[in-house]
Formats: sequence, structure tokens, C-alpha cells
Amino acid sequence: MPKYVLIFINQGDWRANKSEEDLTKIYAPIRSWWDELAKSGVGKGGQELKPQRTATSVRRVNGSMKVTDGPFIESKESVGGFALIEVDDLDKAIAIAKSFPGGDVEVRPVVEH
Amino acid sequence: MSKYAFLFMDDGVDYQGDPTPEQQKVYADIFKWFEVNGSKFVDGGAELQPTRTATTIRKGTGKVTVVDGPFIESKESVGGYSIIEAPDRDAAIALAKTWPGYGIEIREVLE
Repeated sequence: MPKYVLIFINQGDWRANKSEEDLTKIYAPIRSWWDELAKSGVGKGGQELKPQRTATSVRRVNGSMKVTDGPFIESKESVGGFALIEVDDLDKAIAIAKSFPGGDVEVRPVVEH
Repeated sequence: MSKYAFLFMDDGVDYQGDPTPEQQKVYADIFKWFEVNGSKFVDGGAELQPTRTATTIRKGTGKVTVVDGPFIESKESVGGYSIIEAPDRDAAIALAKTWPGYGIEIREVLE
């Protein structure tokens, strides 16, 4: 069965200025959504990332690797996390992305090796 | 030990399309890199099909829209990810510098 990665898109540093109580409220539906996917065998693992201001970038410039603070692409929107799912086709993957109780999601098919 | 996500960045290369011999060599070196460094990975993650295959789901103002394409149009894009374990960020950076491809964005994982 094909695999897809859901890339969760963060708007800025959304966790900043949120209380523990706010975060618990926000995460509760996301946790149930993920638990459900994992239980059904569709969800194959995932991670949430610390905000992009904590990023370090290592980039090839004129043949050698250059280290800089910050993300590759400076933008209000950034990769906030990943989930790997296994479903029949892209339509199913899109349906799952639509049901995510958080923000926007990019869906990308996985290269099978 | 801390967990770091390696976001493997591409510079417009399409390994699944029609790569040049030079790009094929880099792709082969990347395979070797994963073999050599296998023990450092806690999650192999995934290699992604190029951004031209992306679909983005937007939930802006209550209405859900589905659009073709990635969430950011840019020459540089995420081509895959893995989760590694390293004693600290310097060790993660040292490993990232050995990457045979274009680049890596290092992001700590939120536990």
C-alpha cells in the first residue's frame, strides 16, 4: 500500500504565549486523532518539531558545507512536524489531512525503495 | 542524548525524474551515507516525491480547500526527513556536514 507523509504547517511560533491549559486544550483532539490513526494501522509514526527559530541549516555552498542559524526558507509558515501514513491512494490521504484537527497540511507521496 | 529531525533539502533536483550522471552519483552517495550512519537513526523517516506531486490542504476561514502544490513555492524544498539521536546540537551539525546532498535543516524534536 502506498505511503504518504503529512507535513504539518506551522503559522509562526504558535506555541509561544500559550498557557499549559491552552496547549492541553489544543492538543487533546490532535492526540485522539493520532491515536485513532495509529490504532487502525494507518498511522506509521510521526514527530512534532521545535519552532523554526531553533533551526540550524547546513547548506552546500561552492562545494563546502556552510552552517547558519535559522531555517532554510525564512517564512511565516514552516514545517511543524511530520506523520507517515499508509493508505490506498492520494484521495484517502487527502481525506485524512482534511480530518486533522489542527492547521494546514501538505501531503507528499513517499519514494518506495 | 537528544533527538533531532534532519530535513533533507533539495536545490531543485529531481532524482525521480531525469537526473544527470552527476546527480545520480550524489544519489548513490546518499544511499551509502544512510548505510554508514544507520546506527544514529531512531526513525528512518521517508524520502518524499518531488514538490510537483504535493497537495496542500488549507483550513483558513472555516472552509477547507485542497490545492495542488507545496505550501511554499521555492527552489529549495524538503526532499525527505529522518530522526537522529545525538549527544548535542554540535554532534548533529557535524553529522549534517557529511551529507553528500545539497543541505540539511536541523530541528530538535518536541518530546
